[in-house]
Amino acid sequence: MAEFTLDCLGEACPVPLMKTEKKLNELTVGDVLIISIDHSCAMKNVPEWARKQGHNVEIEEVDDGEWEIVIEKTK
Amino acid sequence: MPETNTSINTSRTRRVRKPKKSQIPQAILVTLFMIAFGFYLGAGNSKLPVYWGFGIAFGYILQRSRFCFTAAFRDPCITGSTSVTRAVLVAVAVASVGFFAIKLSPVLAGSETNLNMSGVSPIGLPLMLGAILFGIGMVIAGGCASGTLMRVGEGFTMQMLSLVFFVAGSLWGAHDMNFWSKFNENAPKIFLPDVFGWFGAILVQGLIIILLYIAAVKWQEKKMGSAE
Repeated sequence: MAEFTLDCLGEACPVPLMKTEKKLNELTVGDVLIISIDHSCAMKNVPEWARKQGHNVEIEEVDDGEWEIVIEKTK
Repeated sequence: MPETNTSINTSRTRRVRKPKKSQIPQAILVTLFMIAFGFYLGAGNSKLPVYWGFGIAFGYILQRSRFCFTAAFRDPCITGSTSVTRAVLVAVAVASVGFFAIKLSPVLAGSETNLNMSGVSPIGLPLMLGAILFGIGMVIAGGCASGTLMRVGEGFTMQMLSLVFFVAGSLWGAHDMNFWSKFNENAPKIFLPDVFGWFGAILVQGLIIILLYIAAVKWQEKKMGSAE
């Protein structure tokens, strides 16, 4: 299982979502992707999208207004 | 939506979170300022404090709920998720009832000031052109008008740039309004109660919203496999 990071700091919605979607396609099952974001909108729609796809998702607020979304690809 | 309980193992050492400073003193200061400014506005004009209060409430709700008009129209296209779209439809439905009450009450009271056509804009070329441009612009800028303002308040720097051009564009538009009004001379102004009668109008409006809601659920089921 490999780990990947995706830096989306300063990117407005929907760019983080599109990047996540693309990156997640390249990963294999069991890989973990960590996305750094600071756009409040992406904090909502990226996890929502990933959960609906059936992946495991965790959100962590690493600083004021800065989040890390951890997605484990499950399928 | 169920939260995942199993923790995802990551080898990377997570950045140690800075201990959060208490923001209560700032919150009290800002609250006091808001109240004081409300009184200051009330001294000149009795309507301004109401606008001030509604503005603050609107901003607070937008920020807390992550309500986003852009996402409502964009997400169905990129991910197929229509949860925000449905939220907007519910908001429009609630607002319809409120507008209905506001517009109907002077009519019932037999008041001379008829609100019927106030706020009803002509459907013409400028509207169509503007709607298309606004749609393209809001997706690129990452927010509609209210969303941009809300995120500037949150401190998202990229959208401060959006705000500058949003203000510039609005001023430019206002400057050229005489030119655009020429296209609206023969454009129809439609006020639903004039067409269907008061209760027919709210019925038709409700029906359209319900149909759109059903369409939104179906769309998500088709695109994402679940309407959750």
